[in-house]
Amino acid sequence: MRTSLVVAGLLFVVAVAYWFGADAIPKSRLGGAVGADGLPKLLAVTLGFLSLALAGQAILEARKRRGGGAAAAAGTGGPINIAAHLRAFGLIAIGIGYIVLLPILGYAVTIALLLVAVALYAGRPPSMGVALFGVGGAVVFYLLFVKLLQVPLPAGFWPALFG
Amino acid sequence: MEGFQYIWAAMTSVPVLAAAAGGVLWGILGGALPGISPSIAMALLLPFTYDMTPLAAIVMLGAVYIGAEYGGSIPAILIRTPGTNSAAATVIDGYEMQRQGRGGEALGLSLMGGLVGGLFGLVLLTTLTKPLAGLALMFTPPAHFALGLLGLSIIASVSEGSLLKGLIGGVLGLMVATIGSDPLSGVTRFTFGLPELLEGVNFILVMLGVFAIAELMSKIGENDDEDEAAVRRSRSTRLRLPSLKKLWSLRRAQAIGCVIGALEGPVPGTGGTVSAFLAYNEARRWSKEPEKFGKGSEEGVIAPETANNVVTATALVPTLSFGIPGSNSTAILLGGLLIHGLQPGPLLFTTNPQVVYGLFGGLFAANIMMFVFGIIVLGPCIWLVSRPKPYLSAAILALVFSGVYSIDHSLFDLGIVFAAGIVGYVFRALKFPTLPLILGLVLGYMIESNYRRALLITNGDHRVFFENPVSLFLLICAATVIGIAVVAEIRRYRKAAAAA
Repeated sequence: MRTSLVVAGLLFVVAVAYWFGADAIPKSRLGGAVGADGLPKLLAVTLGFLSLALAGQAILEARKRRGGGAAAAAGTGGPINIAAHLRAFGLIAIGIGYIVLLPILGYAVTIALLLVAVALYAGRPPSMGVALFGVGGAVVFYLLFVKLLQVPLPAGFWPALFG
Repeated sequence: MEGFQYIWAAMTSVPVLAAAAGGVLWGILGGALPGISPSIAMALLLPFTYDMTPLAAIVMLGAVYIGAEYGGSIPAILIRTPGTNSAAATVIDGYEMQRQGRGGEALGLSLMGGLVGGLFGLVLLTTLTKPLAGLALMFTPPAHFALGLLGLSIIASVSEGSLLKGLIGGVLGLMVATIGSDPLSGVTRFTFGLPELLEGVNFILVMLGVFAIAELMSKIGENDDEDEAAVRRSRSTRLRLPSLKKLWSLRRAQAIGCVIGALEGPVPGTGGTVSAFLAYNEARRWSKEPEKFGKGSEEGVIAPETANNVVTATALVPTLSFGIPGSNSTAILLGGLLIHGLQPGPLLFTTNPQVVYGLFGGLFAANIMMFVFGIIVLGPCIWLVSRPKPYLSAAILALVFSGVYSIDHSLFDLGIVFAAGIVGYVFRALKFPTLPLILGLVLGYMIESNYRRALLITNGDHRVFFENPVSLFLLICAATVIGIAVVAEIRRYRKAAAAA
């Protein structure tokens, strides 16, 4: 129940913040009868009500479970696996590293590093195979996106170094 | 009769067939690469069409569209990453089939559904262009608004057992859709001073985040043996084309896909995505086994795939008849026509019949080629998905990042994909359905802009939505869909209460 109440509380905060954001939208005569803030305000109110309903539903279900005794309480689900969630968010950290390094090291090197980093992070032990996967994968991606599709991906500092 | 002569001439012309083959192959590749939408794949080819004959050029662009719509379903089924927007509905049951070791079967269904849908759409395009074009003209802003609401009403039935959570997801999606310039006045909303948000949030970025990144996060987080087992099973997977008996047993779902694709395709602004979701929903409603939907239903794969391939043909109706492109892809096709000095519109049928009817012939050949090339490329795709999970995860992430950058050449877009990935992951962890979020995002602009346009025309009089027959009909349909879902929810609740 606690998780549902926290989620409902957070959604309510989002609804309030969104309302204030909608209220700050500049008024325009071109906006028509409803205005640019019409739908956002409606959505804010709707989300507010829905978050309250979610909280109410969580409380009702908790009461029902209490009334149902231990047998029903067994159906409340297991504990939250914090380690698993942290591990999942590690992937986002790798992605942020990719964004930071891409303009500096260029596409070919960064994509190779990304391939190796994710393969290792996902459980592959360090080996020559992983290194070859990174280099080979980078070549394939480079040929596909830069040469074939002509996508202007960042070249990094290499052209300045060798140019 | 003259029209059929042009169709036959195109189908036996080597340059046209070569253009169709090249277009389909390119389209399958582009569609299968997340981030390369059909329109981007078409746009990338546009410069190469300058030196071609007008017919070959237009056939090539149309063939890319056909190939891309099928290609989008390949990563949707194999790695839970829709390659195109319209493949998002295929993810639901297609990926579930893949998890059950039935990926080859799902791909076969997608391919056959695509072929059936593509050919059916082409028959409609060839024979009913003018009557269908009339239907497109009936879609004024009130009808567009009502159509959007009908699309949104699907939330009620894709909420996976929690209508409340589904509605919250839908509202959050609509909120994201309000980011950017206001459709009427142009004032900025929720952009936080960031110029990258002025044009709103591209929903392919959100889809990639919610589906692909969230899936990768879950896989890495869980590190479960179940997925490893599924991968091992998929190694022995071979493409399984459905038998005629199987296809016959799925006739209802295919018919639903055909009808919805035929009705939605000519309507500007809707496209394959709305059709696919509507077809999925209707296929579930009319199915004898609705409980299988979301758990690897064959009907859940073939209905949306049939619908979005019907749209590849029927979406051309307003483009050819009135010069109104209903989507990014048809806008590029329109650009291709203009580049070659062809002015789309009713006169095109009299001034350049060889191009119009030749296009029909070329697209017929493209659909057949899609089937053949589809079989050829599926083998390597199945091999690809059965690689060790760490390598596969790394390659998918690299593909998504590269594809996202290729859309607008923006690192900011990658940030949006991460944010959407986190939202998708949190949704999964909290058991919130993700499809309502996507539906809200995709339909938000259409609903708001047409609602306000309709009121602008009538000086704020809401009766216009009930006086317009198309709008009224669609609103009744939306109310029915919601009503049925609410009744089902109440029944489920009562059943659960009685069981407790």
